[in-house]
Amino acid sequence: MDAQSVSKPVPISDAYRVAAGLFDEMFDEDRKPRPGCARVVADLLARDPGRLAELRARADAMFLRMGVTFNVYGMDEGSEKIFPFDPIPRVIDAATWAHLEAGLMQRVRALNAFIKDVYGAGEIMKDGVIPRDLVLGCPQYRRAAVGLQPQHGTFVTVAGIDLVRGADGRFYVLEDNVRTPSGVSYVIQNRVVMTRLMPDLVRASSVRSVEGYPGDLLESLCDLAPDGKSHPKVALLTPGLYNSAFFEHVFLSHQMGIDLVEGHDLVCVDHKVFMKTVHGLEQVDVIYRRIDDDFVDPVVFRPDSLLGIAGLTSAIRAGNVSVANGIGTGIADDKAIFAYTPAIVRYYLNEEPILPIVETHILSDPDVRRTVLRDLDRYVVKPTNASGGYGVVIGPKATYRELIQAREGIERDPSGFIAQPVVQLSVHPTLLGESANGAGPFAPRHIDLRPFVLLGKRPRVLPGGLTRVALREGSLIVNSSQGGGSKDTWVLER
Amino acid sequence: MLRRIADSLFWAARYLERAEWRARLVSVNHNLLIEGPAPAGNAWSSLLAISGDQELFEQDYKSADESSVLNFFVLDERNPSSIRSCIDAARANTRALRHRISSELWLELNTLHLDAKGWSPSLLGTGEVFDFFSQLQERFYRIAGVVNGTLPRGVGFDFLVLGIMLERAENVTRLRDIKYHYLLPRVEDVGGPLDLVQWAAVLRSASALEAYRLAHGNMIRTDRVVEMLLFDPTFPRSARFCVDRLETALRRVARDAPEPAVAPSALASDGLAGLLASRSSGDVITTGLHDFLLDVQEECERISGAVFDQYLRFE
Repeated sequence: MDAQSVSKPVPISDAYRVAAGLFDEMFDEDRKPRPGCARVVADLLARDPGRLAELRARADAMFLRMGVTFNVYGMDEGSEKIFPFDPIPRVIDAATWAHLEAGLMQRVRALNAFIKDVYGAGEIMKDGVIPRDLVLGCPQYRRAAVGLQPQHGTFVTVAGIDLVRGADGRFYVLEDNVRTPSGVSYVIQNRVVMTRLMPDLVRASSVRSVEGYPGDLLESLCDLAPDGKSHPKVALLTPGLYNSAFFEHVFLSHQMGIDLVEGHDLVCVDHKVFMKTVHGLEQVDVIYRRIDDDFVDPVVFRPDSLLGIAGLTSAIRAGNVSVANGIGTGIADDKAIFAYTPAIVRYYLNEEPILPIVETHILSDPDVRRTVLRDLDRYVVKPTNASGGYGVVIGPKATYRELIQAREGIERDPSGFIAQPVVQLSVHPTLLGESANGAGPFAPRHIDLRPFVLLGKRPRVLPGGLTRVALREGSLIVNSSQGGGSKDTWVLER
Repeated sequence: MLRRIADSLFWAARYLERAEWRARLVSVNHNLLIEGPAPAGNAWSSLLAISGDQELFEQDYKSADESSVLNFFVLDERNPSSIRSCIDAARANTRALRHRISSELWLELNTLHLDAKGWSPSLLGTGEVFDFFSQLQERFYRIAGVVNGTLPRGVGFDFLVLGIMLERAENVTRLRDIKYHYLLPRVEDVGGPLDLVQWAAVLRSASALEAYRLAHGNMIRTDRVVEMLLFDPTFPRSARFCVDRLETALRRVARDAPEPAVAPSALASDGLAGLLASRSSGDVITTGLHDFLLDVQEECERISGAVFDQYLRFE
């Protein structure tokens, strides 16, 4: 074999096979690049496949050196892993993005209105749109939030909405994250790395920048300052070094130029919150907290929490400090409430939802439960009160034993679970670990998308978001804690 | 500046300085053994005595041979003062305050930490070890450069300076024993070639040999070495230089307070400054260098304690 044929690029569209019934993000049914993808496809075809693996190795080295890592629970404390990165970017054309952006904005505005209502007048329950028991019985409902009136009524400052694209090519909402959504730091760092790996391609593609996010976030946080204080003291509250998202906490506080604090750095005095500085106490106005409700205030929530600040809730109530996201926002990302979100959008905004949701069955209804349990292996079963992909059972992939356990779990606590049909997540060309003989360097892998929405005086959506990719063949689980990786997400200017 | 952050900066700086000092101490000793006249006792066990690690070493090693001692000083993770452990501790301290240092500094520290994790004993083989130490030394200089070139001179920087200078001053005092331990002193050697080589090694341990020659010429004399390492206000590793920097940093930190005292009445470093001002190289040699250095060390510990109580203590 001569040298030339060895280095000859494998045409992606020949070597690359997508199973029937799956939506490919990059190629249409005729194997032509989809809108916006032509340039990336042409560029990839022109590259020596061996060089692509080199790019990935360079990317990994950059992430490790920069310390862009996450901690995996259950492994040695403090063991840091890099989030696997796939150098093939995911492209979203301008028109598609405009549609998503409008849908996301609509959705987060409605969710915020819902939270405000639940802890306020409770109109939506009075009007019978959502059963009162469902709301008040939700594990994420916080009595301590009743009557709270955050600045500008903003409960949700940051939202991460998980979208999937079905076999029909439409985007569906899979899950809302309005407590402490994470992942945005990878969005920004992926771009930093991508810009170094493929500078020409990034430049030629007119990719919308993501680097403004920390500034926008800081502005949204400042909007929450009590009494509209013009130069509020803002701090990011982290559970600490061993939290899986610690890198992100460091990254965001660094980028925003604010203090990164742990619970024991703060103290409440006279319903005000202070930081312990080398020169004594300094008052804090806004806290961007990245710890769950349960841990923020041992006086009101878990008394065994060492992560929070005793008295924080009363300081919020006194109007002396704001937290983002607000306490109790978890009510809006509960997986059972999720079934009602289209109704929530209609109820508060008087608009049709722009983004449909993945069909969701509430198992506390006996008839629904019976139907689902009959064909349990066709559904995805999720605990209503967990995140990160923990506890999810995917019917068609589950073992007999797992299905039995899921059934028992549902029968024991029907309201603790919801069921959704299995969504055949769209696929995207992804670089293979070891280039298999004859198969070419790429294979289709399932992906999702988590865009980030900021509410504040000036609501906005970060162009793109975190594209997570299930690196294992056939896997539908994209979570970083479960062997997922990520791609840079390119929203095109035009 | 949060107390926790100030504390981490202070300790990150100390650990880095410690790692650098240890690297220099070990490499100088190694050189001495290779090119110097054969010493009387076991020079490697002398090194353990200087660093005060004899006991810890004996727990895990049978004999103080070259490879064991090098391993102990450089790679051993059970030794909290090994170079690898110090780098790890410095990096662990900065990990929680990455947002308060520059990305460049983090990148240097993190890369050094990753490299240190990958160090293997083969790097310390006779053929490799020179390169190893000289490259390591370059890394420390690069970090110092990044610190100087990228960090704003705020209170955070002052705590870094406090950490560096306290560690440095303490390390100078540890050189007190270096001469005692290289060999059992024999009267006929004093002023002889062996004596000179050893004093040169002491100077080298503090990167001071070239500065010494510039200031005092080629003739190495005990009193001038002591002058250089303790009392010279211009040499960046002398005790006097360290205390001057400590004073400045402490004064700046005090001035940063929201309601600064009109003039900070007393600084934690006053004791050390006074001690150094009251003596000269001539009289400490006459009255006992060893004891004087112990006094200096005690003052350093007092400063640490005072800084901790006033600025870092966390209730």
